Amino acid sequence: MSFGFPVGLLALSALLPLAAAYFLRRRQRPRVVSALFLWRSPSQRAQAGPRFERFSREASLLFEALAVLAAALYLADLRLGAQADRPQLVVVVDGSLSMSARPARGKATADRAREAVARAVSGEGAALLTVVESGVHPRVLTGPRAPVVEALAALEKWKPLGAAHDFSPALLFALDLAGPGRRFWFVTDGPLPSGTAVPPEAGVVEVGEPADNLALVSAQRRDEADLAQVTVRVASFAADARSVEVSFHGPAADGARPGGADRSESLRLPPGETAVLRVSFANAGPIEVRLPLSDDALVEDGKATLLPAPVPELRVGVLEGLGPAEKAALERVLDATPGVRRAAAGGEPAELTFGPRGSKAQVQIGAPGPQRSFVGPFVAEKAHPLLEDVGFGGVLWTAGDNPPGRPLVTAGSSVLLSEEEAGTVQMNIELARSNVQRTSAWPVLVGNALRCGRRAKAGLPRHQLMLGEPVPVVTEASARFTLVGPEGERPVLGAGAVQLPAPAVPGSYALLRDGREIDRLEVLTLDPRESDLRGRAAGLIDPKREAGLEGGAPERRRAAWPLVLLLCLLLADFWVTARAPA
Amino acid sequence: MTAGTSAVGSQESARASLDEAAVERAAAGVALRLPRSPHRGRLGDVRAASTGSSMELSDFRAYAPGDDVRQLDWNAVARTGELVLRVRHDEVAPRVEVVLDGSKSMAVSRVKASRAAEVAMLVCRVAARQGLEPSLVVTSRTPRRATGAACLTAARAAEADAADDLGAALRRSPPLRPSGLRVVVSDFLFEAPLDSFAALLSRGTSALVFVQLLDGEDADPGGGSGARLVDAETGEVLERMLAAPVLEAYRRRLAEHQALLRRAVARARGTLLTAVADDGLEALWRGALSPLWEPG
Repeated sequence: MSFGFPVGLLALSALLPLAAAYFLRRRQRPRVVSALFLWRSPSQRAQAGPRFERFSREASLLFEALAVLAAALYLADLRLGAQADRPQLVVVVDGSLSMSARPARGKATADRAREAVARAVSGEGAALLTVVESGVHPRVLTGPRAPVVEALAALEKWKPLGAAHDFSPALLFALDLAGPGRRFWFVTDGPLPSGTAVPPEAGVVEVGEPADNLALVSAQRRDEADLAQVTVRVASFAADARSVEVSFHGPAADGARPGGADRSESLRLPPGETAVLRVSFANAGPIEVRLPLSDDALVEDGKATLLPAPVPELRVGVLEGLGPAEKAALERVLDATPGVRRAAAGGEPAELTFGPRGSKAQVQIGAPGPQRSFVGPFVAEKAHPLLEDVGFGGVLWTAGDNPPGRPLVTAGSSVLLSEEEAGTVQMNIELARSNVQRTSAWPVLVGNALRCGRRAKAGLPRHQLMLGEPVPVVTEASARFTLVGPEGERPVLGAGAVQLPAPAVPGSYALLRDGREIDRLEVLTLDPRESDLRGRAAGLIDPKREAGLEGGAPERRRAAWPLVLLLCLLLADFWVTARAPA
Repeated sequence: MTAGTSAVGSQESARASLDEAAVERAAAGVALRLPRSPHRGRLGDVRAASTGSSMELSDFRAYAPGDDVRQLDWNAVARTGELVLRVRHDEVAPRVEVVLDGSKSMAVSRVKASRAAEVAMLVCRVAARQGLEPSLVVTSRTPRRATGAACLTAARAAEADAADDLGAALRRSPPLRPSGLRVVVSDFLFEAPLDSFAALLSRGTSALVFVQLLDGEDADPGGGSGARLVDAETGEVLERMLAAPVLEAYRRRLAEHQALLRRAVARARGTLLTAVADDGLEALWRGALSPLWEPG
């Protein structure tokens, strides 16, 4: 059983006033009698009390209620066993940001897409509709096989904000949903990129319109101590030179201290050019960047919210057993590095520990055994984050026995630096007989170790992401992590550094550890490929292969039997109410 | 008379409309018809069911210590040589107990309520004039009993405000006393088992009279239009078109109910007198209630 027009069931709401009319009916004057049982025919049941009176004309009410039901069934277009015969149309709508464009003249592109879907439904005579939104990960927007009215209503709430993406997965998904050899439609806003694999069963409706647009194409924020430095790049995708005033709104993060400000910077951009703006704020909370243009075709790419992204504090511990030279060299670097706090004994445990070879430290320093000194050549695995920017020029390195683990730096047959499977770093160095601590290699090496330690902390390494970028997350095995955002909750599976698929919707996302928020990031509505609206166009490409719809039987007429039932019930009600009571 | 069509809001106390002058006029000319069987009551001049000190001989029995030696039959003692005692009937003034139904159905009209109180008052007044001991039980929401002269006051104050029928009300009323004559004034329009109801009222009395007092609309309802019929006691509602077939069915069911009541009263060795309140007290005591009085 199904309904061709489920909204017709709203007619059932007429039952309420009908019942109320029976409850409230006071046609005759009340007349008090000594013995009601003498008035009652033997077949009549006992009546209820005076507060809630039972219906005294139940047959009439029953007929009238059934008549309302029959009318509702007729209006709702009841179909018994007709589900399988109803033709289904599958439509793919482009979910990229450019579909949200609002050209200066004419309708918004998304509205044109909705009209195109409605036209396709009407033209195909479909009764069921499945709408797929293309994106980095295609998803079913309504359906599958939803009644047309319901699906079109759901499409009204659709807001495309996705990154530029390949349409092929969505088109293949639609082909699977439509069935082999069945026709379906793809609604987008411009010419398909070359290389897009469009199945021959797919018709393409292009509803775009060329438009000028100024957009933020990148936005970054860097926080060092109290100072936030914002860097934005503004691009012009207009046909002529445009002037724009970029506004920055950064309220103070801590109301007790001065800081935060509202700034604006004026720009004049020739067609196709970009400009970079850098603005600094002291003690600023989230900073909002806006391109206030009245005639901008795509408002969404003209604003960005940049959350504070401070360098996370790292608790560092230095274990007993290090020689005085190692200890002094380490402490000199640790004291000079911002965001490093020495773990106190008995306090919170250290997140990164330095100690002698054979200890439980994560970075172990020491060169036991017979020692050899090297001045080069040093063979280093430069791609390793621990060795980033580390230069070995002028370095004298004295090493002992080879440490365990994967070699990162070697000299001759000696392993100078290695990394064990569990992540422990071994520095095979005798600082008292080396000059490494007096070269630039030492602070860079220790700094890289500290950076690796920070990256291992649970949280979000990045606080601003562009559309379509995957979300890097660092988790711990001992806790449950969840990413909560506009799309809802998404559990983070895995421990350590994890990369989640790119969010489909921009906005603010929070990382929860065991239900408690520990970090937050903002997915910015920025994508230069989507901001360029100059090449958008309208058009129609029919399917290359003749194909029908699934369940393409002709639309049947509305069933008339509920109407006949309604008339019969009304006649029965008239007969019941008109006849003299026995 | 249209009192029977009054609505719920018009139910009023019978006190305001009691015609006590009519009661006094009626009481002056009649005497209660008492049964010939022995009675119970206080000391008087009517032969009692119990033994006592009247001149009428009841039986002989052997003397027991404590008996009045004046009652020894010395002739029998001489004949038999044993102490033989004369046992004599007691003489009492019989109690007349009137039970007045205090349920709401007795107040569907002012005339029905006042006529019921007047009938109860008349029986009590006549009993008192005859030297009998009147007792009045009113089964209103707050049931009460009155004896002697207080019966008239109780009849004046009687309220028909009980939401249960007479059968149920008797269970929460003061217990009925042994009596010579018991007169029950009610409309008897309820769906209780009538046999057990009549048997209950016949217990402890020598004579039982049911006075069924109906309102004019109870006995012969008017019709012609639709009505929401509301039960006086339970508040139940029934919507009916009061067409001729409906009225005819009502009369038929009323007659069947009265026949059942009559049979139940007869089984309890009682008498059922049916009267219509609209007729006026004088017409009632001379007509429908005449079997209550001594002839002449």
